[in-house]
Amino acid sequence: MAFCTGCSLLCDDIEVDFEGGKVKRTLNLCRKGRGHYDALTVDRLNPAVGGSGVVVGEAVKAAAEILSAAERPLLFGWGRSSLAAQKLGVDLAKKLGSAIDDPSSYSQGLMTEKILKGEIPTCTFDDVRNFADVSIFWGDDPSSSHPRHMSRFSYFPRGEKRQRGYEEDREAIVVDVRKSPTAMIAADGFFKIQSGGDAAFIEALLATLGGKIPKVEDKKKMLNLGTKLRKAKFGAIFTGQGLVQSRKGDVEAFSSLVAKLNELTRFSVIPSLGDYNTRGFNQTLFEETGFVNSVSFADGVSGGPEFGIAKYLDGCDAVMVVGSDPAAVLPAPLAKKLASIPTVAVDSHRTLTTDAAKVAIPMAVAGLEAGGSALRTDGVKVDFDGVVESDRLPDAEIIEMIMEAV
Amino acid sequence: MARTGEMTVITYRGIFQEVEEALGMYSDGYRDQSAVIFLDGGDAKGLAVEAGKAVLVETGSGRVVVAAKISEDPHPGVAFMPASPWSAQLLSGEAGEGGILEMKRFEAAVSPSGEAVTSIEEIGERIRAP
Repeated sequence: MAFCTGCSLLCDDIEVDFEGGKVKRTLNLCRKGRGHYDALTVDRLNPAVGGSGVVVGEAVKAAAEILSAAERPLLFGWGRSSLAAQKLGVDLAKKLGSAIDDPSSYSQGLMTEKILKGEIPTCTFDDVRNFADVSIFWGDDPSSSHPRHMSRFSYFPRGEKRQRGYEEDREAIVVDVRKSPTAMIAADGFFKIQSGGDAAFIEALLATLGGKIPKVEDKKKMLNLGTKLRKAKFGAIFTGQGLVQSRKGDVEAFSSLVAKLNELTRFSVIPSLGDYNTRGFNQTLFEETGFVNSVSFADGVSGGPEFGIAKYLDGCDAVMVVGSDPAAVLPAPLAKKLASIPTVAVDSHRTLTTDAAKVAIPMAVAGLEAGGSALRTDGVKVDFDGVVESDRLPDAEIIEMIMEAV
Repeated sequence: MARTGEMTVITYRGIFQEVEEALGMYSDGYRDQSAVIFLDGGDAKGLAVEAGKAVLVETGSGRVVVAAKISEDPHPGVAFMPASPWSAQLLSGEAGEGGILEMKRFEAAVSPSGEAVTSIEEIGERIRAP
């Protein structure tokens, strides 16, 4: 049985046969996972320094030279890295006295931080499958981002106390600015909100739960929602980037809503994180420093937005990006700033970031070409093996080589 | 003179785009899934834009040419783009409250265009340009 590291659900029931290095047959992969598997033979990264091909050892040496010479380096990425590589990454940041950050600093880091601090209750997907009768997808479209979310855990499956599945035992509610594929599944459970309208929706819902008439257009629908939530035996809320972005970083109103729901019944939150081991990085760094992202080891341990990629690129003189493509995602002014800084990119595939990097170091694809461990988006640890031979090194080995060379 | 519409653009991730991204962002498939903008039917009519035609999307931070798609559901004044290197060209890099980068939403001018859809190679060159 193989694992899929195509998203943070880390599906563990994949069957796959290879022929001539290519995927011949698979079972249980979603469409996104199949793309992840098929990509094994597409656009793979080769070791390079200054755009010229080299052997891995030379690329590692050049990477170490860049990082050693820097006064304000940043180690960024880590979402598509194994737990071992993430731990080594934190150790490398300590050794270099550098900053370390991941994409959660501009996505769901605040939500994960609240969960790790115990300020928002959480649960596992297994709890959801077995017990949840209400699943709320808030700014979250798992049908697109985590395609087996609803079928394995949150809506369709039968579980210990939910033997009648979605037909009778489960309710799906979607709060979103657009009618996403998940919203189409939820049908009447879809609540369309205005862009940036989450706070108003939360206010109306809090009023409803407090027994007041909400100030919304469709009062009846909101009152029905309040009744459903009050009557829920075990509710789960899955959050997407839409919620955090809508609140512009302030998840306090959402926390108040979750607290109110937990006065009435039981509701837990699981963020739908993007890369397969985003949770792993956040938790690893949190356990080491008390921060989930945006940390500097330049003078002891410091954390805060000033050490996140958005601000730290100013004055930064070297970047190492591991398992991430910030040049493709960051706003153009920041992507340009990144490209102007000597960059080392460690990745399995060619990306806009590897194209802009001074040094490129290829790594094996976790779960396919290399084994390792990761934390699922609900925090459950998963150990996986590689299932196909590869001459590319696992990420942890590469970070270890760089660590020895700096 | 081409008509221009001022719109709020919201980004999202779509399954087909995710698949194509996994298969390589330099592919035509990824461009076809990413370099698009979903317009409200009424807005598209007002701009004289038809489905599949090129439109210029412009902000104070950048410009890209993408293919227009027309949504089945109405959402006047709002357009949707997949989160991708194309939409990233239009983001300002400004942080909102709490220091979080605004990545989901921006105001843009949308107008019909006779230019070809911006290629990923061109975006890469823009990023790497001094």
